[in-house]
Amino acid sequence: MNQIVTQFASTEAAAKGGVFGALGIDLQTLVFQLIAFLILVWLLGKFVYPHLIKAIDQREDQIKAGAKAAAAAEKKAEAAQADVANLLKEARKEASQIVATAKKEASAVVEKSEAKAKTRAEKIVEDAHDQIEKDVIAARKALHNDTIDLVAMATEKIVGKVVTDKIDDTVIATAVKEAK
Amino acid sequence: MAQRLSRRKIASYYADELLAGNKKVVTELAAFLLQSRRTNELELIVRDVEEALAHRGVVVADIASSRALTSGATAAITTFLSDKTRATDIRLRTSVDPSLLGGVRIRVPGQELDTTLSRKLSLLKASKV
Repeated sequence: MNQIVTQFASTEAAAKGGVFGALGIDLQTLVFQLIAFLILVWLLGKFVYPHLIKAIDQREDQIKAGAKAAAAAEKKAEAAQADVANLLKEARKEASQIVATAKKEASAVVEKSEAKAKTRAEKIVEDAHDQIEKDVIAARKALHNDTIDLVAMATEKIVGKVVTDKIDDTVIATAVKEAK
Repeated sequence: MAQRLSRRKIASYYADELLAGNKKVVTELAAFLLQSRRTNELELIVRDVEEALAHRGVVVADIASSRALTSGATAAITTFLSDKTRATDIRLRTSVDPSLLGGVRIRVPGQELDTTLSRKLSLLKASKV
């Protein structure tokens, strides 16, 4: 259509002449184009731009809302991160306390076990000593009794063969003398 | 019913009779015990008679040894008993018991001296723990 209008203007301008004609501008065409432009502008302003602006505004609002939500989310994330950091800090602290307590308790248990084991060992050693002492006493008694039995048996076996009248006289004389 | 005589009185009587030289006193004692049905007291009465004799200066000692005593041993025992009992007359009643092994066992009324080896061995055995 522009091509048609341009061709029309150039032909009309050349035909009519004047200032516009000298410049190659057809006034009617110019006015017509101006009116068409204004109508176009009006139509755009009436039917197109409001929707576009409205859409742009909505989009802007959405973007602003999104940015706001993003900022809020970022704040929340930061707060959550801080909370997490605090929780982690507290958790580490608590864990450290638990570990320290566990170490203390373990140490106490070990010390208690050592003391118990030591006491038990001492008791075992003491019992062993007592048992050994008892065994030694029993062995001494057994040896004493066995020795007595042996001496008595040997004496009974030997004396009858060894003792002579003279020895017996000496024994009797000694016994009588001691009895005095 | 005749009164039952005490052993002490019987012993005193027969000790006096023995010291007086009455040889029949033993027979009389036997007859008395049979008649009075006290033969089971014979050993006790004999012991009482010996005690009565001891009080009168006559000691009858039972001597037990593993061998027959020699004269030296007999003399030593007699001297020992004279010193201990202050008796004027010591009479020994000896016996041989090989189980005594050695030494001598002297028994007088109320006392005993046992120096035999068997006794010493018994004491040794008794010392067992």
